[in-house]
Amino acid sequence: MQHKGNEMKAIVSCKGITKVFGKGELAVHALRGIDLDIMEGDFATLAGPSGSGKTTLLNMIGALDHPTEGEVSVDGQSLSGMSKSALSDLRLEKVGFIFQAYNLVPVLSARENVEFVLRLAKVPAAERRSRADAALAEVGLKGMENRRPSALSGGQQQRVAIARALVGRPRIVLADEPTANLDSKTTAELVALMYRLNQESGITFLMGTHDPRVMAHSKRHIEMEDGKIISDTRS
Amino acid sequence: MLTALAWRNIWRQPVRSILSLFGLAFSSLLLVFMLSFQFGIYDTMKVGALGLLDGFGQFQPVGYDDDPDISRLLPNWQNLVEATNLEGIDAATPRASSFAIMASGDISFGAAIIGVDPVTEPRVSTLASTIIEGRYLQEGDEATIVMGEGLVRNLGLTLGDNVTMLGTGNDGAVAADVLELVGIFSTGISGLDRQITQMPLARFQDTFNLGDNVNVVALRGADFGAVVKAAPELAQMAAKEGAVYLRWDELQPEVKQMITLDLSTAMLTYGVMIIVVVFILLNTLYMSVLERTREFGGLMAIGMRPTQIGAMVWLELIFLSFLGAGIGIAIGAGITLWVQAVGIEFPGMDEVFRQWGISGRVYPDLSLLSAFAGPGVIVISIVILGLIPYRRILGLEPVTAMGAA
Repeated sequence: MQHKGNEMKAIVSCKGITKVFGKGELAVHALRGIDLDIMEGDFATLAGPSGSGKTTLLNMIGALDHPTEGEVSVDGQSLSGMSKSALSDLRLEKVGFIFQAYNLVPVLSARENVEFVLRLAKVPAAERRSRADAALAEVGLKGMENRRPSALSGGQQQRVAIARALVGRPRIVLADEPTANLDSKTTAELVALMYRLNQESGITFLMGTHDPRVMAHSKRHIEMEDGKIISDTRS
Repeated sequence: MLTALAWRNIWRQPVRSILSLFGLAFSSLLLVFMLSFQFGIYDTMKVGALGLLDGFGQFQPVGYDDDPDISRLLPNWQNLVEATNLEGIDAATPRASSFAIMASGDISFGAAIIGVDPVTEPRVSTLASTIIEGRYLQEGDEATIVMGEGLVRNLGLTLGDNVTMLGTGNDGAVAADVLELVGIFSTGISGLDRQITQMPLARFQDTFNLGDNVNVVALRGADFGAVVKAAPELAQMAAKEGAVYLRWDELQPEVKQMITLDLSTAMLTYGVMIIVVVFILLNTLYMSVLERTREFGGLMAIGMRPTQIGAMVWLELIFLSFLGAGIGIAIGAGITLWVQAVGIEFPGMDEVFRQWGISGRVYPDLSLLSAFAGPGVIVISIVILGLIPYRRILGLEPVTAMGAA
């Protein structure tokens, strides 16, 4: 799929996405007919008040959840009808995740956490190590490779999470409130880091956030409300 | 990768893991010791009960076990004595026996009279070692007899007294003899001490008109198990001579029944213990799975398959169970070997033990079976039941898992 007006390719394509939680009178319409393309190289933010559907939409795009109606495609591959294992493989190969709570494996060191994704992808050991170290150096954690998450600050843990999200060379990195648990200084550093990675390596980012400092860097700002996209602007 | 991760996960909650390991190791230790102890008692029972008189196996004429009539003679018994050439068979002794009236003065009692070879008999039977007065039969003895203390008391005899024996010979004629009491034995089994007497085989054959025939050949080996192992060859030997070979459990079925009954009761106890241990451990693991549901969701999100997560948790359980059982087996085997060397006294149990030919001190018998059977059942049960948390993990959805408390 080509975006109007330029040569960029759509990494993610959502068509008529609806998500309903619960049934009958208790049904909650989290997403109401979302149509959205995320283009290669986008540094996009998904904003909106709590309950607007940001996280639900990120989950659909990241193949973590199934839409009630509609279709999601990632890198041209439709997610409809894929098995759990196939969805796991797709996440492993094409999607990098950054979570608000970092979600690092506590018994693994920073290097092992980053390597873990490469191990799952069956990357040879020597290459794994060099790529993991390079990713950690890229996020400013050189020298902290052997520390476990419990020995790292929140900001450092999130940097490990970013390195882990990037090391598998995904088609898109999805971040859900990546700075919510961080102080202002760390937030600024991390946003600058992600922006630099986007600018230098062309990695596509889609971030669900409330944080104006994150939004300030975004090249594309998508606003949601009540499960709908109410604006989609580029700067 | 999964292996290393599973191993490290075990030590995330060291206190919980150590407590689980302790429970597992302790139950394994108990099972190793208790099973070894039971098997040791059973072996002692078998050796004691059979070694006293019957021997560990016997060649008999066909039908003699059901109807031990003196006229049922063992064909070619001299060939059957050659069983000592087989591995594990150390001694064989011929016997002839009948029932007779033993009389002294006006008093008479019925008893079994067994003609034995004074030289080979003590190699098979421990009866000679229970002599409390006088001596056992000797080579060259003729008109001599040894009796149990109960029968001696009933007949009012003392050593050196003559006993009149009156029975029926092989040809149906009266078999009578006057024998000198040279020894009194006390086996501790009152039935035997009231009813058993022994005299030299040659004199018995003359008195009962047996020629050089005998009724049975009893066998013994240094190792009870070796005689049991030789049973098929012994049965073949017997069949070749038109006789039968009776194993220990055919000679003393009540010993086998007693062992079976005791083992069944013990198995019930062990079974309950294993079930409790397995479910406690499984409960611990299941709790750990529930606590880590959010983490599993995160792992799924970064591309780990549910089957891999399930396998990782299953490996944790396998490591824990093997480690716990291994420690239990090692300590249990060590304790058992020590007790096996020194034995255990059971004061006050002498009477009960004596009925089974057991002395007051018993010894466990550590074997591969007693060492691995109990802990093995625990490990296998845990490994199989570990599929329950595995199945739960397979059913997890990333989003709901990540949203778990």
